[in-house]
Amino acid sequence: MSRKKLLDLTKRAARAAQRAGAKDVRAKAYRAREVELEWRDGKLDRIRESTTQNLSLALYVDGRYSGNSTSDLREDALDTWAAELVATTRYLAEDEHRKLPPPERYEGMFDGDLGLFDPNVPNITPDDRLKRVALLEEAARSGKGADRIVSVDSGVSDDESESVCFATNGLEAKEHSSSAWAWVTVAARDEDDRKPSGTGYAGGRFVTDIISEKNLGQEALARALAQMGSRQVPTGDYEVIIENRAAPSLFSHLIGPLSGGSIQQKRSFMEGRLKKEVGSKLLTVTDDPLLPRGLASTAWDKEGMATRKRVLFDRGAPQFYYLDTYYASKLGLEPTTGGTSNLVWGLGDRSAEEMIAKMDKGLYVVGFLGGNSNGTTGDFSLGIKGFYVEKGEIKHPVSEMNMAGNHLELWKNLVEVGSDPWRYSSYRTPALRFSKIRCSGAG
Amino acid sequence: MKKHDDKSMWSRRRFLASSAAGAGLIFAPPFLASCGGAKSAASTAPLAGTKPVGGGGPLYFSKFGIDEQALSKVLAEAMGRGGDFADLFFQHRITHYLGLQDGQVDRAYSDIELGCGVRVVRGDQTGFAFTEDLSAEALTSAARTAAVVANAKAGAPNKAFERPGVPDFYPIEVSWAELGIDKKIPVLGAANEVAFGHDPRIVKVQAMMSDSSGWILVARSDGKIFEDFQPMTTCYVNCVAEKDGRREENYDSLGMRGGFEVYGGDRIRDLARTAAKRTVALFDAIDAPAGETPVVLAPGFSGILLHEAIGHGMEADFNRKGTSVYSGRIGERIAPEYVSIVDDGTNPGGRGSINVDDEGTVGQKTVLVENGILRSYMHDRISATHYKVAPTGNGRRESYKHPPVPRMRNTYMAAGKHDPQEIIASVKKGIYAETFTNGQVRIGSGDFSFYLKNGALIEDGKITRPIKDANLIGFGPKVLEQVKMVGTDLALDGGAGTCGKDGQSVPVDMGLPTVLCEGISVGGRG
Repeated sequence: MSRKKLLDLTKRAARAAQRAGAKDVRAKAYRAREVELEWRDGKLDRIRESTTQNLSLALYVDGRYSGNSTSDLREDALDTWAAELVATTRYLAEDEHRKLPPPERYEGMFDGDLGLFDPNVPNITPDDRLKRVALLEEAARSGKGADRIVSVDSGVSDDESESVCFATNGLEAKEHSSSAWAWVTVAARDEDDRKPSGTGYAGGRFVTDIISEKNLGQEALARALAQMGSRQVPTGDYEVIIENRAAPSLFSHLIGPLSGGSIQQKRSFMEGRLKKEVGSKLLTVTDDPLLPRGLASTAWDKEGMATRKRVLFDRGAPQFYYLDTYYASKLGLEPTTGGTSNLVWGLGDRSAEEMIAKMDKGLYVVGFLGGNSNGTTGDFSLGIKGFYVEKGEIKHPVSEMNMAGNHLELWKNLVEVGSDPWRYSSYRTPALRFSKIRCSGAG
Repeated sequence: MKKHDDKSMWSRRRFLASSAAGAGLIFAPPFLASCGGAKSAASTAPLAGTKPVGGGGPLYFSKFGIDEQALSKVLAEAMGRGGDFADLFFQHRITHYLGLQDGQVDRAYSDIELGCGVRVVRGDQTGFAFTEDLSAEALTSAARTAAVVANAKAGAPNKAFERPGVPDFYPIEVSWAELGIDKKIPVLGAANEVAFGHDPRIVKVQAMMSDSSGWILVARSDGKIFEDFQPMTTCYVNCVAEKDGRREENYDSLGMRGGFEVYGGDRIRDLARTAAKRTVALFDAIDAPAGETPVVLAPGFSGILLHEAIGHGMEADFNRKGTSVYSGRIGERIAPEYVSIVDDGTNPGGRGSINVDDEGTVGQKTVLVENGILRSYMHDRISATHYKVAPTGNGRRESYKHPPVPRMRNTYMAAGKHDPQEIIASVKKGIYAETFTNGQVRIGSGDFSFYLKNGALIEDGKITRPIKDANLIGFGPKVLEQVKMVGTDLALDGGAGTCGKDGQSVPVDMGLPTVLCEGISVGGRG
């Protein structure tokens, strides 16, 4: 199905809804082709290939609102569907804050090339994929300590997608994107029954974003072996370095409470803190939807509003809330955008390894195990996976430990930001060093 | 509705979820999820929803042009390169969400899923493709794609189809397909009123209910066709309360396979009252202790411990691959003799109950641990063939977009002999764990965690101060060995638990009697 056909379908569904009485409609559609190949211990494990499609309608009917989607794109089915939805929407309570973005919010949309589509992705052949997964396994099995391997899983995926957005008050937008990923996971045998695993992964918009299979395989093995003989350390306050790859999940707990819905529903510890310091001066982050090839780059947000770059944290102080048209109206504020794009950090001078080398005593956290954060109060408690460090050296892995605190204190203790942003997440976090976090394990 | 751009990140997320790293469980209501805006979809299109019982009558999917001849043709194509077996999974599922915020039922979302997944299996290798276009050409093309996994001569042609009946663990009285939205709106209105009425400190209430009517058809290369109608409803009530400038929030949820009759009686009022009660209780809570301490798990919801600590590790795919901490341990003692654990697809109306799994194995109850001995893993057809045992009915999938993998259903521990009060009284210093929000496990290392929302200190055998917001963490096999007492009061949770693994989400339930456990580390600040 071509992009034009997708756009035609959105218009058809929107017109059907308007004929049934909808005042305004936003219709979006996408079609994506995805292939994923998984390989395990020397042979093909699973191959998945599909083309998926979806059309969604946001309906504004007599001041009422509903959002709807379907994978059934038969044209006559769409017409009936749209008309029935309008009838259903009329039963809801009126909500004066529900409206399409005003047309000026669509204006000035970036129309250059964001580098979201790699023409080489659709040309990836089954042989290319097989070669890559075999290389990933081979690299893992050729590393030092490979005799302890229980199993190696490797995989690749690639996809190409087209999406369109149409709004009855004057928007037609489209996007063509691709991505390609590769990963490898090694499970290795520990002294007891434990079989810790380690993963290496890479990818992005372009095939060339998948860096060396050799490095990924060796990284997976090294990460699995590094966890051998893990134990707890005594409960106490520790200096903590969070690895760049692990940091997005920690940072997400600071971002969620900046959403308009959280603020308006009084579920946010960030309420009333715009332009006030919630973190140390080192916390400087920009939300950049126009970053070339960015994983979350886009010229239009989920409502079709034109996107632009904005400073999110300036030396520890949040600068805006993520406000879509609805929650902006409810809060009496100007909309910004409905959600995060690429987060670009102000960087420091040292990598995590360099920080560890100068650490006197503390923990190096490379992953989280469950846990949660209370967005209303800022309290958090997270399971951690990592290493105990003493006098610049990693002494042993730690397990069955938690770290706990409150985000409003935690980020003030941010004493160093790494030089190493993690490019395989749209959060792009560098390593983060905190002077003090309560960590609990034994005793 | 997610913008498409989110979607291109999907593969990576799927991989992150599927790597041996782990699996997890959440109770987060959809309207709190970060996907911004619209889970969508609509509704309507009431389609006759009679329960298929096998045997005669037209197939449900005949309205989409699917008859036995079409099935036969697609299966022949799927087996065209000599797979061991193939199956087609047709699904038509209509889901509605209705939301209340700031006192008004002012948002509705709906979603229609229609498609077919084609799977070809050779040994333990899987080829899979799906299509949302149910035309003969599109189905044949998907079958040809899935068949790529095999490379031998065409398999034997299908025998004549038979349509075995399936049990009915979720009869419904009031079908969602025939229910107008106007009947549902007052349910959320009542939740709002009860929650606000419970305590003047409640300042915000959000409520959302969902209902789903799903039809599936599994057609297999061995000539068997199964059909099922799978209803589901969930409801969440979330409250925010204020006291002296402090705020707290909490929730309660329900999840059941049932029709609108689920909301009869006091159920919605109880749900709203519980949500409000749990919220204001947090004002009195102090910081949880930090470090290892005895934990008494309250009945019901605490079954999350089983789900994470051992459930995932007993799913046979991880064992087949040798990556589970329970690999190769069938027949061994893994817990004291008073511990028995089952995974059950037959609980009436249970959120994790299934009449037939997503690859045509009839719903059943599976004993995992019997008097402390590991008896069985949870199998799908691939792992059952690998282990040369019968499949246990655990082959589940999120939708036609995914191949089935071994998944839990309703997982719980059998009741023991201790009086729950006696269990609490036996603890000198520890915690009592009551409600949770989420959990996670790393299957290979056996490390698991679950997040405590409401609990209390136990001091000198008595429940004293409430505690909140602490992650509990442990090593699965060790925790199971350190179950010290099991109560008489088994209860299922009945909440809206959703389990994520391999990039797929499926509904599950869990249960536990009051249990005393050691070897759990509490991530508090106290």
